[in-house]
Amino acid sequence: MSAAAATATRAVAQTTRGRIKLIKKPLRRDRYGLPIPHVDIIVRDTHLSRLQDHYHNTLRDDLMYMTYKHEPASRKPQKQAKLRFDPEDPYTKHRFNPPKGGNTWFKQLPPPTTSENVVQLERIQLHTMLESAVASRANLLTAIMAFRTLSGESREAGGRHTAEGVQIVTARTLGGKGWARRGQPIGVKVDLKGPKMYDFLGTLVDFVLPKLRDYNGLPMEGPSRPLDSPSAATGVVSFGLPPYALQFFPQIEVNPDMYPEHFGMHIHFITNATGVGAQNKARALISGFQVPFSRA
Amino acid sequence: MGQQLFDLYSVVLMFSRSALSSCRVSRKVQCLSSPTRSLASVASTSSAIPSPPPPRQKSASGTLKPVLNTAVILTRSPIITRTPTPFERTYFGYHARIQRALHNPFPYDFYFKPGSLLEGRFREKEREREREAFGGPRKTSTTAEEGAEDAPAAAKDVEVLGGEEEVTTVPREHESDRNGDVKDLNRQGERNLHLLILGKNASGKHVWRFPQGGLEQDELLHEAAQRDLHAECGAKMDTWIVSRNPIGVHQPSPEEQLYVFFYKARILSGQVHPDGNNVTDFAWLTKQEIEPRVERPYWLGIKDMLADF
Repeated sequence: MSAAAATATRAVAQTTRGRIKLIKKPLRRDRYGLPIPHVDIIVRDTHLSRLQDHYHNTLRDDLMYMTYKHEPASRKPQKQAKLRFDPEDPYTKHRFNPPKGGNTWFKQLPPPTTSENVVQLERIQLHTMLESAVASRANLLTAIMAFRTLSGESREAGGRHTAEGVQIVTARTLGGKGWARRGQPIGVKVDLKGPKMYDFLGTLVDFVLPKLRDYNGLPMEGPSRPLDSPSAATGVVSFGLPPYALQFFPQIEVNPDMYPEHFGMHIHFITNATGVGAQNKARALISGFQVPFSRA
Repeated sequence: MGQQLFDLYSVVLMFSRSALSSCRVSRKVQCLSSPTRSLASVASTSSAIPSPPPPRQKSASGTLKPVLNTAVILTRSPIITRTPTPFERTYFGYHARIQRALHNPFPYDFYFKPGSLLEGRFREKEREREREAFGGPRKTSTTAEEGAEDAPAAAKDVEVLGGEEEVTTVPREHESDRNGDVKDLNRQGERNLHLLILGKNASGKHVWRFPQGGLEQDELLHEAAQRDLHAECGAKMDTWIVSRNPIGVHQPSPEEQLYVFFYKARILSGQVHPDGNNVTDFAWLTKQEIEPRVERPYWLGIKDMLADF
């Protein structure tokens, strides 16, 4: 290639590829007059999570060894659920035909243990129900603000469409005593995932649980409890915190006066464990984060 | 090679036949000879190994009886958080800046009494963090005025509160990391450490290996693992065998029916106290440090059982 041709090529490259294309057209504006960037901006992890690392470096291997069940032979096929009516009968062909003896999803065996399906925390749900919200739904504001403070979550926060933030829970059924109507807002819940979930768990274990009076740990049933009951076959561990525990969270502790009402809450640890005995696997996982358990 | 092996084992046998008779298991182990055995890391190697020689007893069927041994991989889990890699640091910093730029306005009125000392101190801190994230303060007219108003107030606040209390951070590197002390349990705080001992093998030679021992009559494997660990490393430590399931099995030689089952354990407190006779030295090592110390066939058998990080 001659020198002249090389120079020509360089000139073309500079004009087409080498130069940064300047944005000349002004950015579109949203309804508040703010510029809309031409790429989606999403906030992802902003820090290394201590407990998440603890899970991956320490707990994961141990949990696999603890929950491993040696199955050298392949499993026998599970018995097919018998339907209540003959499905071939023209009369019952397209009718509701539930299995005989009801739904038995909780009798299913857990999947074979592999390194891929080790029990893992998926999300933590905080939930509270305020009876005072029946009289005035404005009473929910305290709980909403407290949950936003505790979780740091808000709707579509950081450009993530799946972030739901703090949600209002409405009454589902007609209250037995008739004190709540169907569809009436009576509670608040929030789902925590990812690093924020682990941060909340750390706060709970380090600051809140040690300060509770006469607290032995999360209640746990005796060993004689069957493993194939609906609760024992879901990989969920739930417990409740009393109203006075709210002030022990450091986020609330800085200004407890701003929350006129203190309320208790349910905390659900939701894991990926399924099948018979899944709850015990979930307990093994949670106790690895130093959450205490005690036999009731 | 085969002839050498045979010679080695005959020498080994002369030394340790009496010592080994207590370790032998007379039970016939059916599961080991079944073809469906699918345990994690079965390594087949063919050279000298730091383990007792196989017995010469023959069962009724004419095959050698298998001998079971247990070994314990005693682990110290990480005690400090991991140092983020330069890439992670950049990534986290980038997303922290996006978050800082886009987050909802902080509700000062909700968290602080207006005009309180704490509020002034928090605003001052926040300005520092803003400068750290996005460089120097923007010199627009409004911010300059605000800054001029707030600055003396903040300075006064800090004076009144007596300044910040001194916060000293402990160095991430322990003293033992600097002087190369491999016996200290505080070394390499962010890594998993495994206990390796310098112990006699069957031929009386000292080699680096994991604590190991035989089974007694009618003893379960995980119980034997606990007993053997204390027999070789002393009872002055709290340990916990993680699972009743072995995490791997190592067959030192394909011709002999010797199987070493590895158990995972964690140390909670205390330290190893070798007896000085059978076991002379010990070291807490990361996976990468173990490789040059142990013999090659042994390394190939155990490397998949150790924590990478």
